[in-house]
Amino acid sequence: MASLSLRNVYKRYPGGVTAVSDFNLEIKDKEFIILVGPSGCGKSTTLRMVAGLEEISDGEIYIGDRVVNDVAPKDRDIAMVFQNYALYPHMTVFDNMAFGLKLRKTPKEEIRRRVEEAARILDLSHLLERKPKALSGGQRQRVALGRAIVREPKVFLLDEPLSNLDAKLRAQMRTEISKLHLKLGTTFIYVTHDQTEAMTMGTRIVVMKDGLIQQVDTPQNLYLYPCNLFVAGFIGSPQMNFVEAKLLKEDKTFFVEFGTEDTKTRAGVKYKIKLPESKNKNGTLDEYVGKEVIMGIRPEDVHNEEKLIAEFPDGVVTANVEVTELMGAETYLYMNCEQQSINARVSPTNTAKPGDTITITIEPEKIHLFDKDTEKTICN
Amino acid sequence: MANRLFQSIVQQMKDAVDRTIGVIDSNGNIIACSELSKIGETLTPDLSLIAKNDIFTLEDYTYKAIGSNQSGEYYVFVAGNDPFAEKYCTILAISFSNIKFYYDEKYDRSNFIKNVILNNILPGDIYIRARELHFNNDVQRTALIIRTTEPTDVVVYDVVQNLFPDKTKDFVISINENDIALIKETKAGINNNDIEKLAMSIADTLSGEFYTRVVIGIGTSVEGISELSRSFKEAQAALEVGKVFDTEKSIISYDNLGIARLIYQLPTTLCQTYLREVFKRGSIQSLDQETLFTIQKFFENNLNVSETSRKLFVHRNTLVYRLEKIKRITGLDLREFDHAIVFKIALMVHKYLQADPVKY
Repeated sequence: MASLSLRNVYKRYPGGVTAVSDFNLEIKDKEFIILVGPSGCGKSTTLRMVAGLEEISDGEIYIGDRVVNDVAPKDRDIAMVFQNYALYPHMTVFDNMAFGLKLRKTPKEEIRRRVEEAARILDLSHLLERKPKALSGGQRQRVALGRAIVREPKVFLLDEPLSNLDAKLRAQMRTEISKLHLKLGTTFIYVTHDQTEAMTMGTRIVVMKDGLIQQVDTPQNLYLYPCNLFVAGFIGSPQMNFVEAKLLKEDKTFFVEFGTEDTKTRAGVKYKIKLPESKNKNGTLDEYVGKEVIMGIRPEDVHNEEKLIAEFPDGVVTANVEVTELMGAETYLYMNCEQQSINARVSPTNTAKPGDTITITIEPEKIHLFDKDTEKTICN
Repeated sequence: MANRLFQSIVQQMKDAVDRTIGVIDSNGNIIACSELSKIGETLTPDLSLIAKNDIFTLEDYTYKAIGSNQSGEYYVFVAGNDPFAEKYCTILAISFSNIKFYYDEKYDRSNFIKNVILNNILPGDIYIRARELHFNNDVQRTALIIRTTEPTDVVVYDVVQNLFPDKTKDFVISINENDIALIKETKAGINNNDIEKLAMSIADTLSGEFYTRVVIGIGTSVEGISELSRSFKEAQAALEVGKVFDTEKSIISYDNLGIARLIYQLPTTLCQTYLREVFKRGSIQSLDQETLFTIQKFFENNLNVSETSRKLFVHRNTLVYRLEKIKRITGLDLREFDHAIVFKIALMVHKYLQADPVKY
């Protein structure tokens, strides 16, 4: 049983810096949980507190049913893999994986069994006699993982283990680590600042900022139902478009209005997008009528195909194309719509080029609204 | 070095002792023996038992550790388990210990580096000894100090030595029970970020593999052996300054200490004078923990009242009230840049005086 529970955990450094505040999280046995957030948000500190490498200032950490606040790291039944791993250059792969066990005076036969088992899981069996300099980047990374596996822990803690790899290798290792999680059937806690890693690997994601948990949810829910502006902007690549707008109500219908129309010269245009009724399920929109809000729309929910423009006539606006990026399977259009930047993910067959003025449509059902002051979600 | 040295002594002793004698290393490999054919073979006694006993007998051999350190690198062995074997063993161990000690003193490169960084060698002798030991004086080297922050049952020295096994370029030296110095040869043009990354890999390996938390101080890169002591002192200073100002960091580089380095180099009396000048008598002591936390957040948020109040989850007016209170107590209005900078430095000086770090 390797469930984890962090209850009201704080980390305050003697200098006064508070790295983590009121952290509450229940992690189920065999779960693959990701801590994600920008640099300095407290995710690594949280991981190190779970490991016992940082004392907690307040709160409680449970591994299974046991409070481990005062338990030494080596007695917590955990294993860690860090970003800046170093292999012993003069030792073979076998010895690299066995070294920690040797220092802990593990019997030789047991060491051999564990190393061979780890090598089998990581597909390193044929490389056991090689030295690190004869390995590729991915193989070295697998040796680093092997050093953790041989400890046979209940919980794996991984702190940005792929950050030092190039993009291609990183993508490959993402899959390998996910497979490893399935093979080992243990709890994984994985820290990253890369939202792609978070979205592709985790069963649940914890989004952090300034030492505080912003949202804990499945990757899909985080993407579809972000709880605030930060989560909406952090999760998703390219990131969600944010447009400063105003919420209006005419009869029983809500509209978001944005644009730059000058009341005297009538220069510029103001756009009004009709919101579907589903956006006001709990009547939350009423209190924002007449107020400024932030409208969020994902790039894939902005379209320029004629068929979709016809399908969503309520969201039609005109925009100037500034930059186009052909990514192969899709094209990104970076546009300016009444002084607001809008990015669209469209078909690669699209013919718009920089300087063009094109008609696009914003899918009203996919609009998110955020409170401009608190940055909390009004509706998703 | 030890193999040839020990073998030469064993050869000389062979005729005086009428039985097989030799030396094994910490893995049980015979590195010197009166029967030449046995060199390279492995004896497999439990070395931890030898370490625990002054003299240890197992099957047909009697063993004793060489040197005062019981868990030494080498062990002498004598064939037989009778009282004479024990006597021979003791005599040989004393003899080998002394020879090894003098040899280390004179020819061990690591020992030489240790003497250089600890200033145990006359400046004039450094150049001569460096030449005798074939040191390249033109390469860059950096001193790092790896300090364990809590007791550990893992020998950190062994781990670091295994991470940097090239004994001709890198030197791992045990300074005391908590500190290990790593003198690392670095390529010309290597920047501080690379050294910090290297230090991070040491810290991460020790944390990840051995659950051992360390802080690492880094000195500046220097050229020439005689400059190594400066780099070492800087690494020591970095750790001391880090203990006061960068408690959350595990890698502290002397090159990145910023204003903390200036404060560290100021005489204590000057610091006290400055504090008296800035704060009225006792005024800094009357600031409670919550107020100091508020001040810190205010600085972190670039003296922005709205942003700070949002981060502190307090109303803007509450923050303004707190800032007014600070102004009343100290005479400094933190919303003004000049006052804020005076306060910031004064707080650092205060912290420094309270911590009373060791000066290097």
